[in-house]
Amino acid sequence: MAKDHRAGSKVRGEKLPAILMASHLLEGDTVFKTDAGWTRDPSAAKIAHDAETAAAMEAEGKAAAAANLVIDPYLVPVDLTDGGLPVAKHFRDVMRQKGPSIHPDMGKQAEFPPLR
Amino acid sequence: MYRYDEFDERFVRERVAQFRGQVERRLDGSLSEDEFKPLRLKNGLYLQLHAYMLRIAVPYGTLNSAQLRMLAHIAETYDKGYGHFTTRQNLQFNWPKLKDVPTILELLADVEMHCIQTSGNCIRNVTSDQFAGVARDEVEDPRPTAELIRQWSSLHPEFVWLPRKFKIAVTGAEHDRAAIMVHDIGLKLKRNDQGAVGYEVIVGGGLGRTPMIGKVVREFLPKDELLAYLEAVMRVYNSEGRRDNKFKARVKILVHETGEEEFRARVEEEYAKLDGPTINAPEEEVERIAAYFAAPTYEALPDVSQVLDQARAIDPELDRFVEQNSFEHKQPGYIALTIALKEIGAVPGDMSADQMRAFADIAEKYSFDEFRVTHSQNLVLPHVKKDDLPAVHAALKAAGLASANAGLITDIIACPGLDYCALATAKSIPIAQAIAKTFADQERQKAIGELPIKISGCINACGHHHVGAIGILGLEKGGRENYQITVGGDATEHAALGERLGPGIDAEDVPAAIEAIVETYLAEKQGSESFIETVRRTGPEPFKTGFTAFIESRAVESEAAE
Repeated sequence: MAKDHRAGSKVRGEKLPAILMASHLLEGDTVFKTDAGWTRDPSAAKIAHDAETAAAMEAEGKAAAAANLVIDPYLVPVDLTDGGLPVAKHFRDVMRQKGPSIHPDMGKQAEFPPLR
Repeated sequence: MYRYDEFDERFVRERVAQFRGQVERRLDGSLSEDEFKPLRLKNGLYLQLHAYMLRIAVPYGTLNSAQLRMLAHIAETYDKGYGHFTTRQNLQFNWPKLKDVPTILELLADVEMHCIQTSGNCIRNVTSDQFAGVARDEVEDPRPTAELIRQWSSLHPEFVWLPRKFKIAVTGAEHDRAAIMVHDIGLKLKRNDQGAVGYEVIVGGGLGRTPMIGKVVREFLPKDELLAYLEAVMRVYNSEGRRDNKFKARVKILVHETGEEEFRARVEEEYAKLDGPTINAPEEEVERIAAYFAAPTYEALPDVSQVLDQARAIDPELDRFVEQNSFEHKQPGYIALTIALKEIGAVPGDMSADQMRAFADIAEKYSFDEFRVTHSQNLVLPHVKKDDLPAVHAALKAAGLASANAGLITDIIACPGLDYCALATAKSIPIAQAIAKTFADQERQKAIGELPIKISGCINACGHHHVGAIGILGLEKGGRENYQITVGGDATEHAALGERLGPGIDAEDVPAAIEAIVETYLAEKQGSESFIETVRRTGPEPFKTGFTAFIESRAVESEAAE
């Protein structure tokens, strides 16, 4: 079976800070790991500043995938805005944080304030 | 149109029930994603960047108004109010939720539709000429052949787990509008010297990361031998196609690595072993299928319509629309009409639920309740009375569907690209929108003439960029989106792969680069040559020179800016 997915971040170089991103099983929507579980709000994503936290989040992601909550969790390297919010370094991950560029009325950009 | 018999109906309903069970088991945790993925893919359900995506089969691109109304209902109830027509003549919904998909499939089954053979390593939905049964240059309507192949290939026990996906296209016309030279198998209905109807069989074409033009493996196959011969081709592929490397698994690689002569010999050897009569469809079954595609009851009309001529004389918009979007019909007094889903600035191939309903009414009232999807992401009303054209144009215009640019530089094919697709490496749709806006002026478009631009957002080439007169491929380079441009690609009977003009460029430079290429064409053009005819005559060199000059001018500009 061919892969129908190109999972994982494509960022080369510095991998931290990072957030953990996945697809929600039921909705297919992009979700982000928080301390309490998962959120659809890109500004509420938990940020790993060190390798230990990132590894722990990744392990939690794998457990959530095994528990059929999410699909394809992976760490996404981010830059922090002046307000401390995580913006993905790679344009593909940014697209997932926002929604389709051709439809500002759809996806997260339509529901949540921009990451500033 | 083909209508389901009791077997089709039961088969589709059983598949819906089976998938409902699979989704339930996925949701209650008894199936893992690894277990579920091949099952959902067998039912056209993908997981994309923002949501699931459901791909619905439109066999050989033929639909009726009840089906389109159902698609509108699904779009509004279970999606975000629109659907997207693809280069495989299918329709995709971009936002369905997993729990709703079994219900969507149930609704589709109510109008004889499904998502089978739209994904996975099987024989995919068969595609065809959008003017099937209409074109004057047609030997025979290709749709009965396409339907026969659909029935033969659906759940064919030998071919449900091929090395890779397998796409078949059929045309019955002299001019190839179905891109048969770049399919795994291309079939062309033709007559031999004795006047008998049969097929030219082409194998091993394809796009993707290793584009190839197909090879003629049989000049003439008698019509009644089709299925046994296809079975021989599929057997050779199924047993010898590579399963060790996904990128080398398509039949084009097998044909290429085996060599054309040797591949042909192996197929003929396999064919000789088969018991044809037990595989080929009985004549009465072929006739039964063909009867569904009988021509509608046309009125006997003069070929010239006074009503239309008078309306065109006073309405320049109608006149331009008819001039650009109509296609000669074999029946006097009728035309086939292309509805370009390519309004300037729109998403190529997208249609809103409101447009679907309006268009369903138009097809029902003015085109014998039938329309077609083209591989260029447009629609076709196949049988419109010329007398009705003013009314049809007015109704299309009211629905925002009267774009008079079919075949022109703004009638661009674009895959979903990075805006939706999990495989994409770059955006595709915004590039199409920017080019369309650059060339929005109608007079300018008309002066440039026929120019198919095709854009893919990754190397898999869903946007057919290799066979675009101008092809654009979006890749990632150094953490940015980067676009390679080719010229000279052709998906017709003159099939050719485009040649790269130079290094890749940034997204914002693409429209100006296309302008530079068009300038080269206008300077090189002789007489009434179309873009592709000029490239065929001159080769890519003048275009490379023009492109290099464009890149240099950009470099100077950006240096000056710094």
